[in-house]
Amino acid sequence: MNAVFTVIFAASLIAVTIVSPESFLPALMDGAKTSVSTALTLFCVYAVWTGLERLAEKSGLERLAARGLKRGAAKLFKTSNEAACGYIAMNLSCNLLGLGGAATPFAVKAMGELEKEDNGFAQKLLFIINSTSVQIVPTTVIALRAGAGSLAAADIFLPSLICTAFSTVFAVGIYLAGVKLWRT
Amino acid sequence: MAYVIPAIFLAVFIAAAVKKVKIYDEFSAGIGEAVKFTMNLLPFLAAVFMMCELFEVSTLSDRLTALLSPVFSALGIPSELVKLVLIKPFSGSGSLAYLSKIISENGADSYVARCAAVCYGSSETMFYISAVYFAGLKKKRLAASMAIVAASTLLSTVLACFICKFM
Repeated sequence: MNAVFTVIFAASLIAVTIVSPESFLPALMDGAKTSVSTALTLFCVYAVWTGLERLAEKSGLERLAARGLKRGAAKLFKTSNEAACGYIAMNLSCNLLGLGGAATPFAVKAMGELEKEDNGFAQKLLFIINSTSVQIVPTTVIALRAGAGSLAAADIFLPSLICTAFSTVFAVGIYLAGVKLWRT
Repeated sequence: MAYVIPAIFLAVFIAAAVKKVKIYDEFSAGIGEAVKFTMNLLPFLAAVFMMCELFEVSTLSDRLTALLSPVFSALGIPSELVKLVLIKPFSGSGSLAYLSKIISENGADSYVARCAAVCYGSSETMFYISAVYFAGLKKKRLAASMAIVAASTLLSTVLACFICKFM
């Protein structure tokens, strides 16, 4: 991320100096402003879900969900950390249901748990799965199309499912193959 | 679908009540984690958004779009989609705005709008996710993972534009 940031920022900086140097400072401040409003939106979503998650944790529901998925998650993510498996299970279920906002806090907690055992492999795998999208029903898109007067707003369901399944399976496959090659 | 989330809440509240959890205290403590998390995240978000804004203002994004259009059309991706595909890894709200623009300009049931909808629904904001997930953790070498995600997202975009011709 450091390299990506530096390259894009520096290139844009040089370009903006040539094109319109007076818009440099306003652009940075606009960016900062957007970050605050985004953080505020995120807080609202997280507040709801981390609050609920704490209740689920304290009432033992999370351990129950984790136990079901534990063996699968433990094997795929190469971790024996029960809490991490629970968070991963919750993250994946929320993603599948299209509750992207709810999925993120669980992922962040899973990352924290995995950090304790220094499990970079699992962290990257979780990142890859989440970044290739594993949503079953793209609710936002369907709502947007319906709002724009589509006659069959949900007809993108099947193509979306095929594409999202393909990208996730492909990326995870390459990653696992890459890790294997690297280590041997 | 509207019943799912209230039902989840109800189930958790009942389970918590049965286990005699102090619901108000624990719910608030959970929200406290959201506060901590948001505060940790804010500096990274600010940096990323400054970069995005600068990228846009500097006209580099337009130039890149123009530059990549021929490459994308060779892959069967309509030129209207180029900017969406480029923005999506960075910004969810930015790309959503762009998706709604494509839909309103081309009609919701047009080929381009359907492609755009599938691409949007089957990809994720990679840079944003990487910033959020790895904020405050020990440095990891992420370049290879990001390249894998970018490649598979591009392939699924090509697939989406192909499938939408038939479905």
